[in-house]
Amino acid sequence: MSHATEFDEYGHKDHGHVIVSLFTLRFVLVALLFFTLATSGAAWVEELIASTFHVEIPQWVNAAVALSIAVVKTALVVMFFMQLKYDNPMNTIIFLFTILTVFTFLGLTGLDLGNRATIDRIKNQYAHDGGDLSAGGPVFSSDVVPGESIVERAKRIAKANGTYDPSHEHHHEEGVDITDAGYLPEKPRTGSSSNISRPIDRPTMGGLAPAHGGAPKGEPARGH
Amino acid sequence: MASIPAHPTSPAEDLSRPPHERYQAASHFKDREHEFDSVKMGVWLFLATEILLFSGMFCAYFIFRLLHPEAFIAGSHLLEVKWGLINTIVLLLSSYTVASGVRHAQTGNLKWLKINIALTFLAGAAFLGIKFYFEYWHKIQVGELPGKFFFYPYARSEYEPLWWGVYWVATGIHASHVIVGMGLFAWLFLRARRGEFGPGHYNAVEGVGLYWHIVDIVWIFLFPLLYLIH
Repeated sequence: MSHATEFDEYGHKDHGHVIVSLFTLRFVLVALLFFTLATSGAAWVEELIASTFHVEIPQWVNAAVALSIAVVKTALVVMFFMQLKYDNPMNTIIFLFTILTVFTFLGLTGLDLGNRATIDRIKNQYAHDGGDLSAGGPVFSSDVVPGESIVERAKRIAKANGTYDPSHEHHHEEGVDITDAGYLPEKPRTGSSSNISRPIDRPTMGGLAPAHGGAPKGEPARGH
Repeated sequence: MASIPAHPTSPAEDLSRPPHERYQAASHFKDREHEFDSVKMGVWLFLATEILLFSGMFCAYFIFRLLHPEAFIAGSHLLEVKWGLINTIVLLLSSYTVASGVRHAQTGNLKWLKINIALTFLAGAAFLGIKFYFEYWHKIQVGELPGKFFFYPYARSEYEPLWWGVYWVATGIHASHVIVGMGLFAWLFLRARRGEFGPGHYNAVEGVGLYWHIVDIVWIFLFPLLYLIH
């Protein structure tokens, strides 16, 4: 690192900025590539362990490893490539204040998410699996089965067209069954109402749907 | 009798010097140093708004992942880690070329400044090529689309259309930032070819470089969140 603080022949003081050495830049690049491979490798190893030994790795482990590495990579980029390490401290303050704002944002959202059901319990009655087709209306066809979810509908149409291949049900999923990962379909809803569709008792905008809309199918939200 | 000075008093008037040396700060700045610092702080304030823009998408991811973890697990298994990894490496390399481009501007190595700007542009094109050809195009064909556009028949969870909504919005807005960045690098390349950048003046190289690093950082988070956390 060297400071270019010489005066030029006109007596102008040149930019007194730190010029980061090529060695530093290359070292940071290699570190970033290393951490990228490390984060992919960690995810791969976790999956391998889970499927080989049939153990259940809690999801927070997976998320914590991946996000910690992402934070380290970000710190490297911000300090050396974006030169905050050598820069006017005001820019660092702007950056850190933004990060603080983001965490406030996520934190308040988490509080809301965790406590909504205790305040608004009745809303849980109106949960509708996979969204309510009759509320928005499908885009590709006019056959609507009231109460059918988008996912069920995609499957029904593929079966009707003869394009449904049951061997593809595990498409891309190389040996991983999501029910093994601790997310059994019987798992009760976490208490929240954030994506709940309310039943509609008036004609919808598109006119595609029957007027009664997607009334709740059964009493409990997910029918389990 | 006073002799006529060998050089004009202002570098701006000496047309034998390259444009970046003749550059003078706008009149409301004390000098080029003052202008550079102000420009850089302005770019940082803009980057703060960019971080907040993307934090909305991270927040959506957070909410829907907590509500429907099974949909996110099923959905992320439908992404190919390979392409996400290659694109991460492409963006990291491009961040390096930007940082070294700034360095070459500071040291006056204008040939390598132009080469680095061009390489960054090409890296952006490679990122978008991989994204659109190997990922988006396939997903459009098989119906892995957000919300009511969804028609992929092998979904494992009722809430997969929601996962694809998060995926498409987050990666789509990121990709649009890459497109904007490529336009900015094309502009920088034309200006560098006219000799406008050098040790005395490289405000635009610095500013666009900072923007590109933020685009890279957003991808540094999107890659593990979308592709790796199953």
